Amino acid sequence: MNASAAHDDTFEAEALPQMDAVYRFALRLSKSEDRAQDLTQETFLRAYQNWEKYTQGTKVKSWLFTICRNLFLRTEERGKRHDEIVTGVADTDPRQISREATVFMAVRDRDPEGHFWREMVDARVLEAIDDLPDEFREAVILSDLEGLPYQEVAEIVDVPVGTVKSRLFRGRRILQEALYEYAVEEGIIGEPTAARIRNRGEASK
Amino acid sequence: MKWIHELRRLLRRSNRKISKEALAEAVTCEEAAERIFEWLDNELDPELEAKVGAHLETCARCYPFLVFEEAFQEAIAKVEQHETTPGELRDKIMQSLETEGFGSRSSSSD
Ligand SMILES: [Zn+2]
Repeated sequence: MNASAAHDDTFEAEALPQMDAVYRFALRLSKSEDRAQDLTQETFLRAYQNWEKYTQGTKVKSWLFTICRNLFLRTEERGKRHDEIVTGVADTDPRQISREATVFMAVRDRDPEGHFWREMVDARVLEAIDDLPDEFREAVILSDLEGLPYQEVAEIVDVPVGTVKSRLFRGRRILQEALYEYAVEEGIIGEPTAARIRNRGEASK
Repeated sequence: MKWIHELRRLLRRSNRKISKEALAEAVTCEEAAERIFEWLDNELDPELEAKVGAHLETCARCYPFLVFEEAFQEAIAKVEQHETTPGELRDKIMQSLETEGFGSRSSSSD
C-alpha cells in the first residue's frame, strides 16, 4: 500500500462517515437546502484536498465543521453584511446571562419542574434554533445538538471560551423564551395570567 | 445520556458525604445560579463543580431552578436531527472526489 492509498483509506474511514453530520450542520447554519448541499460538497472537496493537513487524532467532525463554517461565512459576506446587532453580546459576562431566567420565573406557578420542555416536538425545537441570530445559533448547534465541549466550540468558531459561554447562554435563554411562547400558543402550558388552568398543561403527561 | 448524568450525580453525592454542608456553603445562591449552565454542561473544574453541585442540590431556593434548567437541557439534548444527505448529493460528492483522484489509488477499491 502506498502513501496515497493510505491517504484515501483514512479519508474514507474518518471523513466520509461524517457526511450526514456535516450536511445537517450546513442546513442549520444556512437554513437552506440548496446552500447546505453546496456547502457539504465544497466541504468534502476541501477536506480531501487538504487531508494531509488534518492532524490525526484531532476530532475530524470539528475539523470538517470548521471548513464548512468558513465556507458559509465567506458566502454570507458576499451577500449581506454580518449582523452588527449581536456583536456587543460577546463582551457580556456569561454568568450575568445565566441569571436572566425569565422563563423559569414565568412558569414557576404552573410548571416549576419544566415538564412542558418535554412536550416539545423535535421539529419545533429545531425551528426555534434555526431562528436564533447567527452567533447564538452556531453556539447552540455545536454545544446542544452536537454535544461538543466549550473548548471545541471555541476552536471551530474561533473565539475565546468566555465568548462561547456568553453566546451559548444567551442563545439558550432566547431559545427558552421562543419555546415558552410556542408552548403557550399551543396550549402545552397555560396562559400566564390564568395560573389556575394548570390542568390543561398537566393533563397531557 | 441521561443515565450517565444520573450516575455522575450519584458519584458526586457519595463523594461528599462528609463535608456536604460545608461545600454547599462555599458558594452563595447567586454564584451557584450563575454557574448553573457550566455545571450542567460538566464544564467546571472539579473543585468548583463540587461546590456548585453541593449548593444547587441542597439549597431550597436553588434546587427548583436546577430541576427546571435540567429539564430544559435534557429536552434539547435529546432532540434528533433526522436529515440525511440526499442520495444525489452523496453521488455528486463522490464524483467530485473521484475527479480529485479519490479511490483511483486506493488499495481497497478493488
Ligand atoms: Zn441557593
